[in-house]
Amino acid sequence: MLSCRELVNHADRLLEDDLSFSARIAIKFHLLLCRHCRRYVKQLRRLVAAIPFMHNKATDEEVHKIMDCIHSHRNL
Amino acid sequence: METDKLEQLRSGDPVLFAELVRDHHRALIALTVPIVGISEAEEVVQNAWLKAYQAIGSFAGKSAIRTWLGSIAINEAKMQRRQRKRELLFSDHGDENQNTEDGLAQRFTERGHWQHPPAHWHTDSPESLLTGEQLAECLERLLAAMPDNQRCILEMRDASGLSFEEICNALTVSASNARVLLHRARTQLFKLVDHYEETGEC
Repeated sequence: MLSCRELVNHADRLLEDDLSFSARIAIKFHLLLCRHCRRYVKQLRRLVAAIPFMHNKATDEEVHKIMDCIHSHRNL
Repeated sequence: METDKLEQLRSGDPVLFAELVRDHHRALIALTVPIVGISEAEEVVQNAWLKAYQAIGSFAGKSAIRTWLGSIAINEAKMQRRQRKRELLFSDHGDENQNTEDGLAQRFTERGHWQHPPAHWHTDSPESLLTGEQLAECLERLLAAMPDNQRCILEMRDASGLSFEEICNALTVSASNARVLLHRARTQLFKLVDHYEETGEC
């Protein structure tokens, strides 16, 4: 049977639904029996969904600089 | 994005476009730094915003807006690199002095079972998982210390949603290497958030 370590290595492909049929079955079987790995996959999914929000918003100054540049090109 | 908002954006509403700049500018900078370097990233992203504004009418809304903007920024960065005949800063070879180990390697027994299993995370919403004040500071430090090649793939794939095909084209890296680098970056982040959720500290 797949070890937890191996499952963690395959979890990225599981999230992208990019596994062979046999690998998917092996992972599903492992997940059925292992609550730690179920939690890992669930939380990894949550983490990946959160990554697009990890950057701070731009400051007013940064936004104005870009918008001024756009306006000056529109007026050319 | 709601249909009404998308329609307004497509018609060139400057207020909504400024909101877009506010939400995505920093991510686009982070995306282009590994390709053109920090000194040129700002100029590249400014040009990308100009192109995006000119093309916003044709944004179909099939992909996330971040992915659409990310593709424009990457193309702009590649063009600038070609024009200035610069070498790509990205390298898919790990630097021996940098941490290239899987962030969770120490969490397993020799037989590959969990020795220190993941904690239960209390934060549910994707918007707030990584933005708690203390965690955000630790995350910034972790990203700054992360090997450039891992950070680059994380920004492209997870922060901007680019496909592996686009990533491989932009960086001349093989898909298998890109996947290994992404896995290493994600496990480092997982370890950080897991520790924070378990102890309230990082």
